[in-house]
Amino acid sequence: MSGLTFFRLQAEVNARIMRRNILALREKSYLMVAVILLFVVGYWIAGYELFYMGFHRLAELPALQVIVLDRMLYLFFAFLFLMLMFSNMIIGYSTLFKSQETQWMLTLPVRSLDVFQWKLLETTLLASWAFLFLSAPLMAAYGNARHVSAGFYVKVFLLFVPFTIIPAALGSMAILAVARYLHRHVFKWALFGVSTVGIACAFAFLKPMQAEDLEPAQMSAALQQLLHNSRVAIEPLLPSYWVASSMIDWAGGLTGRGMFYFLVLLSNALMSMLVCVAVSRRLYYEGWSRNHGQGEFQLGVPLLDKPIKLPRMALVERIVNAWPRLHGATRALVLKDIRVFWRDTSQWSQFVIFFGLLGLYVLNLRSVAYDWNNEYWASFVSFLNLGATSMTLATLTTRFVFPQFSLEGKRLWMIGMVPYGLKRVLLEKFWLSSISSAAITVPLMLTSSWMLRIPGWLTLLFASTIAVMSFALCGIAVGIGALFPNFSSGSTANRRDDNPARIVSGFGGTFCFLLSLVYLVLVIGSEVLPMYVSFAANGFNDRGQPWGLVFSWIFVSLFSLVAATIPMSLALKKVELLEI
Amino acid sequence: MILTEHLTKQYGGLVAVNDLSLNIPQGQFFAFLGPNGAGKTTTIKLLAGLLKPTSGRALVGGYDIHKDPVEARKILSYIPDMPFLYDKLQPMEFMVFVGQLYDMERTEVARASDELFEVFGLDEIRRQTIENLSHGTRQRLVIAAALLHQPRVIIIDEPMVGLDPRSARLVKNVLKQRSRDGVTVFLSTHVLPIAEELADQVGILHRGKLVAVGTIDELREVSGEKGELEDAFLALTRGASATVEMP
Repeated sequence: MSGLTFFRLQAEVNARIMRRNILALREKSYLMVAVILLFVVGYWIAGYELFYMGFHRLAELPALQVIVLDRMLYLFFAFLFLMLMFSNMIIGYSTLFKSQETQWMLTLPVRSLDVFQWKLLETTLLASWAFLFLSAPLMAAYGNARHVSAGFYVKVFLLFVPFTIIPAALGSMAILAVARYLHRHVFKWALFGVSTVGIACAFAFLKPMQAEDLEPAQMSAALQQLLHNSRVAIEPLLPSYWVASSMIDWAGGLTGRGMFYFLVLLSNALMSMLVCVAVSRRLYYEGWSRNHGQGEFQLGVPLLDKPIKLPRMALVERIVNAWPRLHGATRALVLKDIRVFWRDTSQWSQFVIFFGLLGLYVLNLRSVAYDWNNEYWASFVSFLNLGATSMTLATLTTRFVFPQFSLEGKRLWMIGMVPYGLKRVLLEKFWLSSISSAAITVPLMLTSSWMLRIPGWLTLLFASTIAVMSFALCGIAVGIGALFPNFSSGSTANRRDDNPARIVSGFGGTFCFLLSLVYLVLVIGSEVLPMYVSFAANGFNDRGQPWGLVFSWIFVSLFSLVAATIPMSLALKKVELLEI
Repeated sequence: MILTEHLTKQYGGLVAVNDLSLNIPQGQFFAFLGPNGAGKTTTIKLLAGLLKPTSGRALVGGYDIHKDPVEARKILSYIPDMPFLYDKLQPMEFMVFVGQLYDMERTEVARASDELFEVFGLDEIRRQTIENLSHGTRQRLVIAAALLHQPRVIIIDEPMVGLDPRSARLVKNVLKQRSRDGVTVFLSTHVLPIAEELADQVGILHRGKLVAVGTIDELREVSGEKGELEDAFLALTRGASATVEMP
């Protein structure tokens, strides 16, 4: 069978599956469809408004608007390129080497090269669509700020096609090399290492602006510094430079130059595909075979050839074992959850990125100590800090706590049959995640408050608020996780329930995140409001009496109790009646 | 029809398949037995072209599966222990898709599918989506799809897992009939009575090495056990290292 026929058949069957998935929406709850639509439309509108407001503010500086706008575009595409490559590598590894469908295809009378090409196309689409979706409001706002015609957006769409191909080809070649020459366990460590190095580089090179840079007299110099620091994005050999230049030139009416950069991009995209296919001819089948052979990896480097043994979590185990008045079954569940998480290295890269971003955030806090003598500004920054930390917490609970119940999927028959039942399992997950979350967020809040020189009593208030929020958000995540679990459909081929990232991307995960956001807005709003009223009454010079905040804290605690109790109670009722 | 010459697969220091030489003629029902971790699945994956041998070669219908994979796979069907199906397709759509992948005419696909659906009792579910089928029904569908293009060689790994007695009987009958019709069946299983019932020849793999090959009676004779195949199997896998070739 020719490669083209294979592509046509695959395209037909995938179109049929997609159509069936869309039709299946009719059978899903209207609430789910409405939530998804609301999220999509809400994101586009909010994103567009936010970017447009930013561009509008820039317009107040006519001399700088174009320079800053364009530089922002170069930077955006440079980061987008890196993210696309990273995304292609992660998705490509599972699509090209781990998927059962790929194994099945490799037993068909088609060339492995054809299988690779189809899977590459699939990877590119899977890895790129979300970025395009996310960047759409930015593109729309940019076009509006530059007063372009409708034809500009068609050209931008055409630009995105070759732009997504280059990182896909480069990412796939990297994966091919890794699969061919590195053992899969080493690959996980390599990914972990790359993430760590990436974060370290970000620490080293992304220096925050200092408070004094924001003084009007220093603005010009600060801007110069900003442009200087971001000059790597205008390196003419980067694909991100070609795509941004083409957009800028088309927006500025320089059609010829815009076309030139488009053709540079297109020719490089085609060339990268050719090179990628040539590389796959040599490495794909070899890599696939090697990847599916246990323990085959031998580099000849003793350190790397040794099997990786994770250190035992002896200290944590000792603490759990020594914990007084802990039921034996709960103790066993806690230890099991800690061990499973510790040994699942595939989650670590995301954990590193997560904490790396937190680190960057703390590093950047120095720059917001702008006018600390102004109490209104100080309070404003303090709440901003609470908002950022709690937002981080909501992401953490949705990503890592929500999937916990679904992950038990195939094992429910066992833990559901123990004499203490699933209620204990659910409660154990709630307490373990709440205590772990609080152990992360409370020190983070104390550190950031200290760096921001927030008064002691306010620090205490924020730390206790974030502790209460940890319990409430974990209650929401565990509860919604049990109410909307994402188990396997029963198919041996379907392994959705083994992948936490996929579990989160379903309806339950989205709902959990939205509910957490609503909770955050209500909690922070109820603490900000009395503060604002107090300031307003004193002409924004004096904070006034703290009683309003104290009362709002009591309200927040009670509200959090309710927010955690409702989903947990519903979930506990559900698991009691759950048919395994 | 299946020929392996000094087929070897090494995983670092571990030899999963060690110098395996087999010659399975057309129409033979060959049962491949061995304890857990003996190297059966690795051998099957080598024969299906999913793994590359460290040394030696495997020929299917005269084609080297690694040098000429497309030609070899045209006449081959491989059914793994955990087969893949598209959950959102209907059984008939899946059959048409598979038929087209094997370059079959649509009319031929329709005719063969009707026949196979009838044989495997799949007529009633041909318009349901696969995600709604039970494990046993899915397994029957996989086997039906594997037989669609009239393969000359069938390689099948643990075919009876999850099948009810009626379905298991059906699958056994179909495979045996295909073998009588000239199709070579290479079946890997842990269930010794299946081998005893169906196989013309049995090969026993132990620690990557073929320790015995022959008919059931020949295995009994060489093992010194006159009773069930189980006794012969246990005797032959009790730390043997040299291949016992039957005359």
